Amino acid sequence: MQIKKGKYRLEDRGLNFTVCNDLDFENRGNCFYFRGGNGFGKTSFLEKIIIPRLKNDNIHYIYIGQDIRIQLYTLRALLSIQGINVPNNDEIELLRLWLNNSKSATVFIMDEFDKYFPDYGFIFDWSDSFIRTYIIVTHLSYSRPDAVAEKYRICNVRFELINFDGRFKHVRVKQG
Amino acid sequence: MAIYNLDAILKTYGDGYLILDFNHLFISSSIREEIWLLQRMDDDAMTKNIMHEAEEFDIHDAKGSKDFDTYSGGQKAILACLLITAVIRDQKIYDLKLLLSNVLDSISHDNRSKLLTKFEAMRATYGMKLFAHKKDHIHEIL
Repeated sequence: MQIKKGKYRLEDRGLNFTVCNDLDFENRGNCFYFRGGNGFGKTSFLEKIIIPRLKNDNIHYIYIGQDIRIQLYTLRALLSIQGINVPNNDEIELLRLWLNNSKSATVFIMDEFDKYFPDYGFIFDWSDSFIRTYIIVTHLSYSRPDAVAEKYRICNVRFELINFDGRFKHVRVKQG
Repeated sequence: MAIYNLDAILKTYGDGYLILDFNHLFISSSIREEIWLLQRMDDDAMTKNIMHEAEEFDIHDAKGSKDFDTYSGGQKAILACLLITAVIRDQKIYDLKLLLSNVLDSISHDNRSKLLTKFEAMRATYGMKLFAHKKDHIHEIL
């Protein structure tokens, strides 16, 4: 799946993206780090542009969102419905079970997961046998790239505010 | 192991600290409502001050009545911090211990620096101490 370079407008979020390079999420072995200021549309870009494309292309993905609280409840319920024995308090085990039962996914998206676990190398250890592409939103300058670099090519994507015209934030999305 | 355990944070630190947790930044839906709850009245001056300060963080479209759901996660974290500092100034609250849980890591490097500068000023004037919670322990930042 590719996001071609060009302009993408999210009317309801007041965002106008200029994507400067083709973003190739199809090639096996890429780990994208999305960085940029607060409110520059990183999460909106994920939820309104990338994820709809993944759905449209029938590409299975795993998404850990920013607000992990609700997601953990949902995850517990989802696994229970599937008849999987879910431990009461061990949320790491819950995550491992989820990943273990999500092996049809080829894209793994984490939105600021590192604020809960700065050292989240275990995520890669559990998933790199089936995940082709990681997309990681982070505000940390160091995101254990050595854990990924062995198998994945690091691709940094910057979200930069060009200007705000009173209604739309014009944001440049640039890889490299 | 818990990824996210607010109950444990509240149990351990709830008595001595004002806790600002990324997943529970507000109890209402806008800055105006938060101020109303905290000040028990509309406070246009405080709202304007917070909106003015928000501009420094590139939050150009902030409004008192704008729904929190329309801000990004990081923007909400910044607004919550600005709200706290505004109330401390207004009510002249001294020696408050503020505990941030998963808040600073939600904020970009530039904005984090600006925010810490504001907190430093609060420490100098009001004796506010700033702590951050990470995994199962806290450490003092300022």
